[in-house]
Amino acid sequence: MRQKVILAMLALAAVLLLPNLYVISMLPDEMRQGQIFRIIFFHVPAAASAMIGSAVALVASVLFLLTKNFRYDALAVAVTEVGLAFLAVNLVTGSIWARVIWGVWWAWDARLTSALICWVLYAGYLILRQALEEPTQRATFAAVYSIFAFTDVPIVYFSIRWWRTLHPQPVFFSKTGSFPPDWGRAFMINMLAVFLLYAALTMIRLRQEETQREIDYLRRTVHAI
Amino acid sequence: MDLHSLTPVLGLLLQAEFDPIREEIGRLQRNFQGLIWGFIAAWVILVGYVLMLTVRERKIRREMDRLKSMIEETEKK
Repeated sequence: MRQKVILAMLALAAVLLLPNLYVISMLPDEMRQGQIFRIIFFHVPAAASAMIGSAVALVASVLFLLTKNFRYDALAVAVTEVGLAFLAVNLVTGSIWARVIWGVWWAWDARLTSALICWVLYAGYLILRQALEEPTQRATFAAVYSIFAFTDVPIVYFSIRWWRTLHPQPVFFSKTGSFPPDWGRAFMINMLAVFLLYAALTMIRLRQEETQREIDYLRRTVHAI
Repeated sequence: MDLHSLTPVLGLLLQAEFDPIREEIGRLQRNFQGLIWGFIAAWVILVGYVLMLTVRERKIRREMDRLKSMIEETEKK
């Protein structure tokens, strides 16, 4: 059943994404940025997905600490790992955009730096898990670390409002910017497609984590025999 | 050769160097290349991650089969 859901999500993501790529390519260029503005159609959905993933990881980690149910731990590691890949997409596409618009690959401004710290923190989460052998200890330490790592996420989100940064001001949910309706529609379709891709990859990773637990159990059985 | 005969050549060279149209074409090309590299980078990262998931999936399945066969053999004995 889960396999069918994953396939349906991936198929729906492809159906949404492929024709939308054509729509995006046909949009008129942005007045000041030119063609490179189209990177926003991947840059922002990747960041939004990773941010939602980190919130899910936070909730799952808290629930694990409260219930000691390993399903929450598996969910936390699955969303974090996929989120790390999506945050990498966000950072790399942003860096390429910066090279074209600002003339530099990287600037140590508040948004970029906090996003990079966020990536490093969540990479640390995965490294921590590799370092600990005992499953309960690993899950508990990782849950506490995940809660700590999440403290950077609101800083990433609000950094462009709190401090004066080079990063453009938000174009959605703010008074400072707005997208024309046809751009907004294409953006929302891309956002939905990227969310579906994120969810499908998380489900695949979650299944792997559950199978890994089963393997751990079988290993213990083999040793007991 | 006198300087006057070189003037049109120098003029053309200067035009080639500071031609605003050529500069704009170059800017647009860099802009387009940036966009293409951005899309390629995004997909390379995602495809790389999917490949990583596929390799791990195979490894897990192989390990699962190995352990199951070990348990079956032990039970037979």
